[in-house]
Amino acid sequence: MKIVIDRTRCVGHARCAAIDPELYILDDDGYIASDGFDVPEGKEASAKRGARACPERVISVVEED
Amino acid sequence: MVSSVELVRSVPPHVPTSRVYDFDFHNDPLYAEKGDMHDAFAHLLSNAPSMFWTPRNGGHWVILEHDLVAQAMRTPEIFSSVRQAIPAMPVDIVMPPIMLDPPEHAKFRAPLNKAFSPKSMQEISASVRELAAELIDNIAADGHCDFVGAISEPLPVLIFMKLMGMPVDRLADFREWVHQTLSNTPEREIAYGKVAQLMAELIDARIKEPQNDLISRLIELEIDGEKLSRELLLGYCQLLFIAGLDTVVNGMSFAIRHLARNPALQEQLRADPSRIPDAVEEMLRRYPIAMPSRRVVQDIEWNGIELRTGDLVLMALPAAHLDSKAFPDPQRFDLDRDNVTHITFGTGVHRCAGSHLARIELQILNEEWLKRIPSFRMDPDKKERFHAANVLSIDYLPLVWTI
Repeated sequence: MKIVIDRTRCVGHARCAAIDPELYILDDDGYIASDGFDVPEGKEASAKRGARACPERVISVVEED
Repeated sequence: MVSSVELVRSVPPHVPTSRVYDFDFHNDPLYAEKGDMHDAFAHLLSNAPSMFWTPRNGGHWVILEHDLVAQAMRTPEIFSSVRQAIPAMPVDIVMPPIMLDPPEHAKFRAPLNKAFSPKSMQEISASVRELAAELIDNIAADGHCDFVGAISEPLPVLIFMKLMGMPVDRLADFREWVHQTLSNTPEREIAYGKVAQLMAELIDARIKEPQNDLISRLIELEIDGEKLSRELLLGYCQLLFIAGLDTVVNGMSFAIRHLARNPALQEQLRADPSRIPDAVEEMLRRYPIAMPSRRVVQDIEWNGIELRTGDLVLMALPAAHLDSKAFPDPQRFDLDRDNVTHITFGTGVHRCAGSHLARIELQILNEEWLKRIPSFRMDPDKKERFHAANVLSIDYLPLVWTI
């Protein structure tokens, strides 16, 4: 599973990091610090919840086979 | 329905009659009739068009529907933040960054992001907890309090005043001024003048002798290689004054009011404080307090509605969060709600810069209050008081508990 983030549209709600601060790393201003990442095994549910918590809807979950 | 002929005549020709609805967001009789400001917005959702024109307060649009509010806030090229106040500001004050559009906005926003980042706010959480405990301990043995005067006013306001570098002994004066700046009365202009004078004095004092506070940092701030003009520096400080001295106060009051009326929820959270962050999110979702505004800067048809340059637009966040298309059974407070992804702090580039401070303060308040105060309820012998403006405010919240 992959997380893809449309970083330019992040406005710093920081809700993703409130769900999982290890997956969703913020910069010093509290905005998302990456364009996405491969979800480590066992962290799928947390990654999905973090994506869903984004009020701007800029985090997508890409399921792989 | 609009009753007065004069008001009907004031509706601009591009607004169809079907979109006109009489609503005065400052003083509408609906607030008193419902006895609850959020119930008034729920009533509007079922009775008024999802976006309507009201002739009150100089005439402006009101957006109720969640999807439309979110769209408008994310479209600054149509819905500008420049000179967006309703009614129009008596004097042309530019308060950066809230009254600026992209790309200019970002330069002024960046320093606030750093100052109010989740990490910076974590660092002050111990002092928030200490003050919360002290204020609650002061009244715990009384068995009653006005929650606003005892807790929700001093707690966030003192924290904010210390961050800013404002004299904490003048809390009562400042609270009066902040209410006046948000009013639609002649006092508004006078109050802006008072805030400007206070901030000018503080700025001068910090220029002579910098402190570890926000005013000193703003003085040092460089944008495009230059320090801020005196005018912009003042505008910045005026905004922080208004934003910092009123919003969390009301967020806290609505949260505790909800708990006072729902003893089962109090018990649940006392038994399992780990649910408090979830409860805070649902409190924020159920009781938004801010209604930001925008000014249309294009002649455009938007979602089937004709807009004209200069139209003012009020975004009714309290209504948007009671829209059943966004939140099923919206008036129900549901700790286990499937979707609590609210936009109570706004959406788009103007997302409330103080949201991380507000969340920490609300969580700590709930934790310390529920730990220290036994089952509490609204005082049946006293009457709560509230008033509306761009911020929905509780002025008096009488609570009782058994000691």
